[in-house]
Amino acid sequence: MENVHEGRLKNAVNKKKKSKWNQILKEKWLYFMVLPGLAYFIIFKYIPMWGIVIAFQDYSPFLGVFRSDWVGFEHFHYFFTNPDFLRLLRNTFILALYDLVFFFPAPIILSLMLNEIRLSFYKRTLQTLVYVPHFMSWVIIASISYVFLTTSGGVVNELLAKLIGQEINFLSSPDWFRPMIIGQIMWKETGWGTVIFLAALASVDQEQYEAAIVDGAGRFRRLWHVTLPALRSTIVILLILRLGNFLDTGFQQIYLMSNSLNRSVADVFDTYVYFVGITEGAFSYSTAVGLFKSIVGIVLIVGADRLAKKLGQGGLF
Amino acid sequence: MKTKFLRYLLMALLVIGIIAVAGCSSDSDSASNESDGESGGDSGDSEDRMELRVFVPTFETEPPTDDSPVLKAIEDYTNTDITMEWAPNSNLEDKFNITLSSGDLPHIMYVPSKSPSFISAVEDGAFWEVGPYLKDYPNLSQANEIILNNSSINGEIYGVYRSRDLGRNGVIIRKDWLENLGMEEPTTIDEFYNMLKAFKEQDPDGNGQDDTYGIVVSKYEGPWDVMQTWFGVPNKWGEDENGELYPYFMDDNYLEALNFFKKLYDEGLVNEDFAVMDPAKWSEPVINGEAGVQVNVLDEGHRIQEKIIDAEPENADPITVIKAVEGPTGLHNLPTSGYSGMLAVSKTSVKSEEELKRALDFLDKMNDEEMQITAENGFEGTHYEIVDGEYQSKLEDDAALKSEIAGFNQMLMYIPEAKSLSATSSPLRQLEEKLKVENEEIVVANPAESYISEIYSKKGQQLDNIIIDARIKYIVGQIDEAGLEEAVELWKQSGGTDYIEEINQLHQEAQ
Amino acid sequence: MHRMHNTGPGRVFDVFNHVFLTAVGLITVIPFLYVIAGSFASDTELATRSFFLIPNDFTTTAYDYIFSTNAVIRSLGVSILVTVLGTIVSMILTLTMAYPLSRSSMVGRNFILNLILFSMLFGGGMIPTYLLVKSLGLLDSIWALILPMAINPFNLIIVKTFFQQLPKELEDASKIDGCTEFQTFWRVMLPLSKPVIATFTLFYAVFYWNDFFQALLYLTDTTKWPIQLLLQQLVMVANSGIGDLQEAQLYEPPEESVKLAVIVIATVPILLFYPFLQKHFAKGVMLGSVKG
Repeated sequence: MENVHEGRLKNAVNKKKKSKWNQILKEKWLYFMVLPGLAYFIIFKYIPMWGIVIAFQDYSPFLGVFRSDWVGFEHFHYFFTNPDFLRLLRNTFILALYDLVFFFPAPIILSLMLNEIRLSFYKRTLQTLVYVPHFMSWVIIASISYVFLTTSGGVVNELLAKLIGQEINFLSSPDWFRPMIIGQIMWKETGWGTVIFLAALASVDQEQYEAAIVDGAGRFRRLWHVTLPALRSTIVILLILRLGNFLDTGFQQIYLMSNSLNRSVADVFDTYVYFVGITEGAFSYSTAVGLFKSIVGIVLIVGADRLAKKLGQGGLF
Repeated sequence: MKTKFLRYLLMALLVIGIIAVAGCSSDSDSASNESDGESGGDSGDSEDRMELRVFVPTFETEPPTDDSPVLKAIEDYTNTDITMEWAPNSNLEDKFNITLSSGDLPHIMYVPSKSPSFISAVEDGAFWEVGPYLKDYPNLSQANEIILNNSSINGEIYGVYRSRDLGRNGVIIRKDWLENLGMEEPTTIDEFYNMLKAFKEQDPDGNGQDDTYGIVVSKYEGPWDVMQTWFGVPNKWGEDENGELYPYFMDDNYLEALNFFKKLYDEGLVNEDFAVMDPAKWSEPVINGEAGVQVNVLDEGHRIQEKIIDAEPENADPITVIKAVEGPTGLHNLPTSGYSGMLAVSKTSVKSEEELKRALDFLDKMNDEEMQITAENGFEGTHYEIVDGEYQSKLEDDAALKSEIAGFNQMLMYIPEAKSLSATSSPLRQLEEKLKVENEEIVVANPAESYISEIYSKKGQQLDNIIIDARIKYIVGQIDEAGLEEAVELWKQSGGTDYIEEINQLHQEAQ
Repeated sequence: MHRMHNTGPGRVFDVFNHVFLTAVGLITVIPFLYVIAGSFASDTELATRSFFLIPNDFTTTAYDYIFSTNAVIRSLGVSILVTVLGTIVSMILTLTMAYPLSRSSMVGRNFILNLILFSMLFGGGMIPTYLLVKSLGLLDSIWALILPMAINPFNLIIVKTFFQQLPKELEDASKIDGCTEFQTFWRVMLPLSKPVIATFTLFYAVFYWNDFFQALLYLTDTTKWPIQLLLQQLVMVANSGIGDLQEAQLYEPPEESVKLAVIVIATVPILLFYPFLQKHFAKGVMLGSVKG
């Protein structure tokens, strides 16, 4: 204890001369604390990375990594020349774009609307309700979707039959696959997405509103000139983050909602890796596809980080 | 300085990590030794019980645990110490491949199909070739040659098949509806169509409402495969006059069959949501009186019948079954492969030939009458009873009792025949059994059944999906004939052309 | 509080706003209400009535059936155990790792941060991870459901950012009092972190409760199935198009009301847990994710 204290004083005197070793010894507790977490990352994240090598092999579990044949970039070559490749790229891209256009603004709009509610009991009840779906697993949401959307006695289709005299086969039509996926995401996550915006809105200085009222600004002008600017930095950060994860589509959701009729639009990188790797047992090929996706992901996230810095938001992390 | 220190730190952590890995894996070894010791102590008198891990699928949410009395009886009879590894049927392929990927296989492993991953595991020496040994066992030696060939990999047998009827497919029809309309059982495709049309339009249930349709199909593609066979489409591969094999969808009759399916769909004779319908609910429309026909395994007929009678006791004889209907080229039916998966013996757990013989002895004994009854029916007085000479299961309303036994019949191979008990033979059941035998006369064999294609093992799923998806899309009108041709073109480009060539080569070698 | 001047268009907007938001609220809850209602209805009612929120014929058959078997109760027990243990492990690892990484003075901090970031983008994939879990001897152990996903790097980074925002003076003051970093963390920082702790406890708990995939991969012993895997098995059993459907025909599919009842059972515990933490998480998420 004494030493630490003394060292600290000394440090204050000779800042320039402090050696890293002293610094480390002085803060040894920090290293003890970080150790369990670091061990976790090394054991569970870094040790399995050796598995990447099987992307360049014809891997057989019974021969092991050391005796399996090396094939170089054959799996990549096969993937890029395969018609699947363009289909996956297109599906992933379109789904991500839909997500950006339709889902991304939804929580912003919802939180602005919630913010206009003055009855605090009503507002709190609504908030509690719309947060709930976030906590449901995809298994549950997929099950509920099937119950509601099926053409054999599903609620939605019985209503449609009455209203427009025609049923829509949401579950199997390729045209409805993307709207359905986005709809599920909106149902599950829009409410939850408002948390961050509502918090940002709560921190807006009330004086600014009052000043605006004094200036005779109506409700929508206040929204435009006071509320939105307050949300701007949050929106920009989230947007950049989303761009960085552009290729990440929800595996479980798509896995649960795809079938042979909508497969042409449903297959995305994540599900493809699973289907060819685990369901069909093509270990090496699927690892190669996964590796490709990881690399594209890194490029995107680094790009997003650069963009964030350029826009003066600081790096992402 | 900084990086050097971090390098050391990282190295130290890696060492710790590796020690942790090594330490833990030796821990697990000693743990499994411990359990060996325990089980040895449990069984007491029989010191040298063979330890067996058995991987089979389960359809239950609560499969039996290893302390089930039924399993104990099986262990005692076969002198083994069994650990069950149940795989949920819905994730069976996934679980199977994950287990394969670990390189550490259970002793007895259920193999759902000759999938690419299974074949490559066989090539890498993961399973014993059991063919040459079968002759030494009283039951296994009586295995059916045709089915053995079907289940073989280019003639070599890597697992004992689980026997099923070859001629199990058929057509299940609402007999009461036929009678209401004064119609006869159909014998040709045209009559079949007229029946479906009548079921849709002539109010077969006589309730005055337009609430019925012809045939119900689910997401499971089987019915389309069966019905196209009626039109003369070959089973997977056809043989032309020069002895060359060609895939079934290049047959001249294929388009005719598809046009027929499309007509059924366009006229609303088949349920609109067939492509997504949960196969678990497939029989419900027939039971509820919405649909009049189902193309399924014949034995579903009496299950449907029993449920209809449960709901409407006055409707005593609502179901009939037929084999198939006659098409332009005669009467054909699609066989099943005659087996449902295989039980393979892994080399990673069963190391010596001596152990293999014991494992096969276990499989052989599972075909004894006593074991078939124990694993499928349970104990008399507990799980079933014989009243007036009739078998009655006691499991239906007792979930706890059911969880002692349900699923052990997955270990049964029924070689040379099923000897377990089943309920009363109603006239319908007798008819089903009769048709199954008759079916064997009209089933169309797949000439390429035992050939293992390298291309198919790599791209088979993808190739199949192209054709299956195109068929469904054609039926629902998403694509036209040109689209169908495009799909075949895509199939060829994706490796199909080479696949045809390879199969023909294998075919010539086999001649 | 500023007053609203209820002018014409403003009023129209208010009415619209309330109607719209009420509709949003209803769309959110109605599916659940239907599932709950359906779980108390008979199968004939489920088959004949397309939609209802109150069953005509109230029955608890589905629940009676479920609780007559051990499976559901046992897997609820497993899920609770995994959720509690997993959340504790995850919180300890996340908090103890996040704090040092929030200290800018720490040597090697950036290296470790980059290590974490890299692992978020790049992984060995499912098969190598499976082999690791296997060689660690964790197969068929509930630890296999916990350890491989023990730290969520996103959560870690948000907690780290939160610690960075705590006033530096507090830390300095406690150091001058002679506290080690650990003591500072324990006595000063944690008590200030209640909203963050509440938030991430909830996040981790929800993750562990909802996960079925780890269980599917790592467990062969069905007595250790968590409730989500049981639900997946029950609802999707013949739904997947995989496996032998002719075989599946030999088995009775579970009744519709039983499926709905299991959905209810799998959902309710997390909903019970949620109100206690709800008041904290808005604050927690906000503090963490908006950068200072």
